[in-house]
Amino acid sequence: MFEIQNLTARYGPLVAVNDVSLSFDTGVRMGIFGHNGSGKSTLLKCLVGGVRDISGAVAFDGSPIVADQVHRNVMLGIGFVPQVQNVFPNLTVEQNLHIAGSKSDSSFLEEAYALFPLLRERQDQFAGDMSGGEQQMLAVALALMTRPQILLLDEPTAGLAPAIVKNVLGSLSRINSELGTGLILVEQNVLAALDVVERAIVLKGGRVVFDGASEELRAKEDLWAWF
Amino acid sequence: MEYILTVMVLIGINVILATSFNLILGYGGLMSVAHPIFYAIGAYCSGLLAIHLQIPVPLSILMGAGIAMVLSFGVSLPSLRVSGDYLVIASIGFQLGILHVINNLEFTGAAGGLTNIPVLNEGPSRSLVFVLLIAVVAACAVMLVGWIVEGDYGRAITAMRNDEEAFSALGRNAMNIKIVLFAIGSGMAGLAGALYAHYFAYVTPEQFGIFTSAALLTMVVVGGAATTWGPLVGAVLLTTLPQAITFLGLPVSIMAPLQGVIYTTLVIFFLFARPQGLTGGTRGGGGLEAWSASAAFRARRDAE
Repeated sequence: MFEIQNLTARYGPLVAVNDVSLSFDTGVRMGIFGHNGSGKSTLLKCLVGGVRDISGAVAFDGSPIVADQVHRNVMLGIGFVPQVQNVFPNLTVEQNLHIAGSKSDSSFLEEAYALFPLLRERQDQFAGDMSGGEQQMLAVALALMTRPQILLLDEPTAGLAPAIVKNVLGSLSRINSELGTGLILVEQNVLAALDVVERAIVLKGGRVVFDGASEELRAKEDLWAWF
Repeated sequence: MEYILTVMVLIGINVILATSFNLILGYGGLMSVAHPIFYAIGAYCSGLLAIHLQIPVPLSILMGAGIAMVLSFGVSLPSLRVSGDYLVIASIGFQLGILHVINNLEFTGAAGGLTNIPVLNEGPSRSLVFVLLIAVVAACAVMLVGWIVEGDYGRAITAMRNDEEAFSALGRNAMNIKIVLFAIGSGMAGLAGALYAHYFAYVTPEQFGIFTSAALLTMVVVGGAATTWGPLVGAVLLTTLPQAITFLGLPVSIMAPLQGVIYTTLVIFFLFARPQGLTGGTRGGGGLEAWSASAAFRARRDAE
């Protein structure tokens, strides 16, 4: 279970996340939405300790998330897929997966290939030569190699064609239903993401202005006014 | 003959320096230009230990390399907080700071340099024996770096160079890799410095300044960054080329700047015309293309 208490995150004088308190179970399917600069990516990074200047507390299953110690925090069972540069372009697909697996159990390689058969076909291809959608698939597979209980994804569909968006979000739903891995998505593509998540949070100016069921957010006639 | 042997000693020392610099800059992607200061630390510490404490030369050489390895924390620790251009600036600051200290201490010989350093070996075949020794050390340096960058650890280094955030997100600790790369690379540079000091018996602070950083960078770029053989090729080429120019019989006032012009021209030429260097091949095979693949990769993704 994630518990966030009075979290404030800053970049110098700029307050990106302002006094946010939330809690959610590890199996959750949750979307974090908001306009550019609303603090949604910063909030996601705080969950894995990726922001140095924070106050308040974040804990995962009772263990504190320590700021600036991403490599330790993810080993608590948190998978993190950064928005861009989330694969290693100079390594092949298989080498990417080995890098990810060497801290946990490399036997999970076969399971990753079972989840994403395309990656097996491309195992000897350099990750940098793959398309955006394929790279996103690989990025998710990399995060899964650490066997997370919950997966944090920062705009997983950014820059992808609509058909590929559907594929990527479909894969995420499958991971949630087949592996029981929780999903927290930061997304600009609100309508597509609302099909996947069950809980939605909207941030504005670093503060939570909506926290409820995804259907509730979708039903709002003034939905776009939130963004 | 003695001249040729001396040039061969310089080639061997530059192979060790360029190979170790390539480990940090080429493979690790750590933009530190302070490498010559660890060369200086090895040379001065080894020399001073042998002169003032009468420590046997082989032991003082090893101690010089060890001290350089330990002092590499001076650059590796800032690299945990800053990267890219900022690390270049931090490393220049570290380099100039240490050089300033050396330049102003009496017991290091100050600006005049450290003289009367005991030589490692004597006798009629002194230079030949030293050439053989330095050839063995240089070969070991190339093999050591080649071994480090192969296998799982090498792939981890590549992944860290590609993207530190993504690397950390997989539970891997970039900090440990940076510290190890700086320690090994700097220790090798210190070893090169100590060997230099105990062959030529004389070192001056001006040998370890920014010009030496530029020369080493040129060797790595021209030979092929992030390749096993590139620094060796670059070191051989860029040690012999300035020596060859001396046979042109040009005035000294032209010779010195000409060397700088050659280095600069070569770096610019290779950056534009052959970023993979002389020995680099495809992206997986190294060169500046491998080194900067992350940037190209990001640009492609942004465009999609």
